[in-house]
Amino acid sequence: MTRRAESGLIVAAALVAAMGVAIVEFTKGNWLDAQVALTFLVFAGSFGGVQLGVIRWTSGASSLLLPIASFLTAIGFVEIYRINPDAAAVQRWSIMVACLVGLLVLWVLRDTGVAVLRRYRYVLLFVGVGFLLLPLLPETWAIHGATVNGSRLWVRVTVPGTARVLSFQPGEIAKVLITVFLASYLAERAEAMSVVVRKIGPFKIPEPRHLGPVFIAAGAAFVILIYQKDLGASLLLFGIFVAMLYIATGRTFYVIAGVVLASAGAFAAYQTFDHVQRRVQAWLDPFGHFSDAGYQTVQGLFAMGSGALTGSGIGLGRPHLIPAATTDFIFAAIAEEMGLAGALAVLAGFSLLVAVGFGVAIRSRDRFRKYLAGGLTIVIALQALIILGGVLRLLPITGLTLPFLSYGGSSLIANLTIVALLLRISHEERL
Amino acid sequence: MPALFFNIIKLLYLLMLFLFLWQLARAIRSHVGSNPGAQTEGTAAELVVLTGDSETERVRIRPQGHVIGRSPDADIRISDPYSSEFHTRVGIQDGQVVVHDLGSTNGTYVNGRRVTSPTSVSRGDTVQIGKTILEIR
Repeated sequence: MTRRAESGLIVAAALVAAMGVAIVEFTKGNWLDAQVALTFLVFAGSFGGVQLGVIRWTSGASSLLLPIASFLTAIGFVEIYRINPDAAAVQRWSIMVACLVGLLVLWVLRDTGVAVLRRYRYVLLFVGVGFLLLPLLPETWAIHGATVNGSRLWVRVTVPGTARVLSFQPGEIAKVLITVFLASYLAERAEAMSVVVRKIGPFKIPEPRHLGPVFIAAGAAFVILIYQKDLGASLLLFGIFVAMLYIATGRTFYVIAGVVLASAGAFAAYQTFDHVQRRVQAWLDPFGHFSDAGYQTVQGLFAMGSGALTGSGIGLGRPHLIPAATTDFIFAAIAEEMGLAGALAVLAGFSLLVAVGFGVAIRSRDRFRKYLAGGLTIVIALQALIILGGVLRLLPITGLTLPFLSYGGSSLIANLTIVALLLRISHEERL
Repeated sequence: MPALFFNIIKLLYLLMLFLFLWQLARAIRSHVGSNPGAQTEGTAAELVVLTGDSETERVRIRPQGHVIGRSPDADIRISDPYSSEFHTRVGIQDGQVVVHDLGSTNGTYVNGRRVTSPTSVSRGDTVQIGKTILEIR
């Protein structure tokens, strides 16, 4: 696809956002107003800006990533605007900031390429783990953690001299940093890790000391589970580890070991923690726990059910009734107002994005870039799977944002960083 | 008729979403497929399909490589039942022709030996994919 077609699609995605806003205003009885134009300008300007960066610094990059990212962001934005116009105003800023961060990533790597990240991998690991632990800082400090909905994954910073408070989720950025570390670690160790030393039945077992990383992954995931009570992040982190080990070695053994460890961990967690127990019960029998733990799941199911094939129409449903409708449960709100058709459009968008991401990985020539592209794609795919599974009641609900669609600046910044890295890798593959 | 009107708007909006996705999917198809304009000089090695059901093909190996497989979107399509959709990638790295198995089910064999990591080959070597034999010339 040419750059021209890419700009065309970016403008089209901006139109999707602007049209959605226009429809929401129309259902309130207002004709075209400034919000529509503003939305169009923000979308076209932000993603168009990233495209200019791509043309300037990574001219060989895939032209498919940006249109998909802007499309998903646009659908999410429309639903956020419909539910809470004030949040949407903040989200517009987040989109601009996230695109700036994406541009910044492209600019920083313009001469060195992603290879430079290998050199700083331990720095990235420490920063990543530090970010993960940041929410545990005591409440009395200037930079402190905060517990929201029972999970401790927010960090609040009081801006000096004022009463303003900035809050963000460092875990979102941490997952990207840790993926970069894993890619560079595995690029060096994968060969040794895939050597088979013995066989037990049909399973080929690599040398035991290479199992270290799997246990570290399980341990890290468990620490997050215990101290931050964040099921989603814990599952996501563990999933990324196992999937990347599999990408790097091609040994199903790692997947089996991962599944066994995860099941054991999940069972132990179920026995030990009542917040896990409540989630599982709400999953198995949400209607029986309608008044407490199952309420969100049930409201999500009612919303999606009432949406039917084409939905109630944007602005005509009742997504307000779903708790966390702009963040974790945005998919339910979309399915209610845009129906199965709109929900499938979102899923198609994710599928295409993942297909392009893996395409970049397959075509990259060296291991590091291959694992990095594959790993970053898995971050998005897995995160979407975990939260969509929760909303659709295929999995217990574990709070995670839906990439690109959910309200939230940290999440958007992390996702645009991923897109920028994928763009960079796809550029280097063609050099 | 406000209800009908809203319904039409709703359907038009959904149509817009799917038009967008359709355009994207078309672009992805051509992205996965071959890219004939990108031939450049360099190593003049050629890849020749010797046996198999596909009509005998002969292509000059281009720097960004060719994906060989059963999929209609592969750069070099072979209609071999033992081949995976995207089976092997043959490309040029540091001036050498490199064969890279893309995680195929039945494996890629260079001169009869199965290869799992990127392997450099030279002229006269054969690459076997399923029942199809290709030669580097």
